Amino acid sequence: MSLLELRDVTRTVIPPDQPALTILNGVDLTVEAGDRISIVGRSGSGKSTLLNLLGLLDMPTSGLLTFDDRPVKSYSGAARDRVRGAQIGFVFQQFNLLPGRTALENVAMPLLYAEGRSFWRRKKLAADMLEEVGLGNRMHSMPDRLSGGEQQRVAIARSLVRGPRLILADEPTGALDLDTGSSVMQLIDDVATRTGAALVTITHDPAIAARARDHFRLDRGILTRADSDELAAASEALS
Amino acid sequence: MKRAFTSLVGAVVEAWQELRVHRTRVLLSLIGVAVAVCSLTTVVALGGIVQQANQELSERQSGRPASLFVSAFSNQGTAIDSATMDATWAETLARYDITYGSRVLQTAQAVPFTTGVVDVQTQAVDQPYGEMHRVRLTEGEWFTDDDAAGLAPALVVNQIFWERLGSPELRTHPTVELGAQGGRPGTTAVIVGVYPVSSYETEPAMFMLADQLSAMTAARPSVAVQDPYGGGGSTQYEMWVPPAISEQLMEVVKRDFTSALATPGGGTGGVQVDVYRQDYAQYGDDPFLVTKLVVGGIAVLVLLLGALGLVNIALVTVKQRVREIGIRRSFGATAGRVFFSVMMESVVATIAAGAVGVIASVLLVQNPWTMDLIGQGLVSDFPPFPAEAAVLGLVAATAVGALAGLLPALVAVRVKVIDAIRY
Repeated sequence: MSLLELRDVTRTVIPPDQPALTILNGVDLTVEAGDRISIVGRSGSGKSTLLNLLGLLDMPTSGLLTFDDRPVKSYSGAARDRVRGAQIGFVFQQFNLLPGRTALENVAMPLLYAEGRSFWRRKKLAADMLEEVGLGNRMHSMPDRLSGGEQQRVAIARSLVRGPRLILADEPTGALDLDTGSSVMQLIDDVATRTGAALVTITHDPAIAARARDHFRLDRGILTRADSDELAAASEALS
Repeated sequence: MKRAFTSLVGAVVEAWQELRVHRTRVLLSLIGVAVAVCSLTTVVALGGIVQQANQELSERQSGRPASLFVSAFSNQGTAIDSATMDATWAETLARYDITYGSRVLQTAQAVPFTTGVVDVQTQAVDQPYGEMHRVRLTEGEWFTDDDAAGLAPALVVNQIFWERLGSPELRTHPTVELGAQGGRPGTTAVIVGVYPVSSYETEPAMFMLADQLSAMTAARPSVAVQDPYGGGGSTQYEMWVPPAISEQLMEVVKRDFTSALATPGGGTGGVQVDVYRQDYAQYGDDPFLVTKLVVGGIAVLVLLLGALGLVNIALVTVKQRVREIGIRRSFGATAGRVFFSVMMESVVATIAAGAVGVIASVLLVQNPWTMDLIGQGLVSDFPPFPAEAAVLGLVAATAVGALAGLLPALVAVRVKVIDAIRY
């Protein structure tokens, strides 16, 4: 059973006063539990649109998108939001921590949309998760008092606090220096391995992409498998 | 059910966090709401009090609804015998079981003060008059049965009269000599009560019982400056009856008086009897309608201005929150939840501001200085802070909060998540 599957997915938008624009064209992708997938592509290649679809934030114009083998179209809007909250964790390039809230409150935020014990014990769960990413001593710090690496760790803790089965990392090291980026990626890898979650990393950095087991390239809306050796070489050259 | 409960609690937690994080902005915008609600509540409350003051003033002057006045006069120009009038009046009250009836005679009595003898304006009335005209006393009490049975006339005097006597303690039964002048002895009268005066009154005045005035005048005709019956002043006959039966009573009282005053030879003998209402409610329409409309109009205007300020700020700030809303959506917040949270935030904040506004309004309206200013010492039943004004204030605050939250909430649910995050 696949966790997430795209079959011949197309996404078209119609800009005002312009002809229809196909952003994704015939995309096929299967994500299984525990997968490590990287998708590289230049700006404008359709990475964000693909991320929207993978995160159940958007619907394909045509083709099939399934989650747990169930067509996403069959979910109501609210049900899709709930599945996303419970099963998918996002890590963003700009961290996107909520300003004015402590690290603990930021990590507890996704649990506000949970139910039962997860909701009522959200502070304890958030504190445990911050301990896990090595920020047990910065729980009550505001985001603007944290370094870039610490902020991304908080963001990672937030994305993992509900125990998602799929982690979507959108340029997760884009705002970090090389060493910090590397340690952050190692952390994401470790947590994903321990929890058995699938990790899909969207990046334009070949070094980050090279950490994955399956590599894809997105070019002008078309997703193709990338050559691992080529990526490794690019990564080597960059380092 | 469990989901609904956790959603509610979660939304409240979110709203509270929002208010805490944006407290400066929220405080600034809510000051406007609090001031608007305070103004609205104060205007409505003051309107109620002013209306009560007006009503009491009207009732003091022309009686409570429905006050019927009976007058009779002869077409031949001869005076109607006051004893017959009094007897007919007493019979009428007894026949229709009317508790509140009073004769009213305006007269004057010479009263010696330390500064000289003053002709004091006097109203001779019956005991029920005090209740009928809301006579409020600052000292002592209104005429009792004991006072009516006493040999010495009892007096209820105004504050000026009392102060001219040196404000004596009423439990010492202070007396004045009515009609005493130039060594001539007067009639000893006992002061039993003191009523307040408005700021524009400067002269002493007093009430006394009509029967005692009559007896006093009969015993010592020289004490009265103006004779109560037939000597110039004319007695008014006034009854306070339920408004629902007032029309019917007017007819039967007129019939009975006409019949009683008819000449022995038959016919009415040229006697004209009139029974009419003089209280403020005699025309049936709400006499305070204009006041209410003006007050209501001002209140609504004030609230609209407050609401406009809040909506303005809410619309400006929702732009800044697009990113945050996008982040929440990406972590599982449903569109309904985002809508509810944004609404809740606005409503919770405005209810709090409304409560502050209502409390400020109560403190403003119910303090002695405001009461004195509005009441001018004339309002006896100063109404408590009107509950409807407080409820109106809170409801208005909630409505303003919902209205001000609606537009940002609608904008919030339309946020495109990834665009918002990358914004």
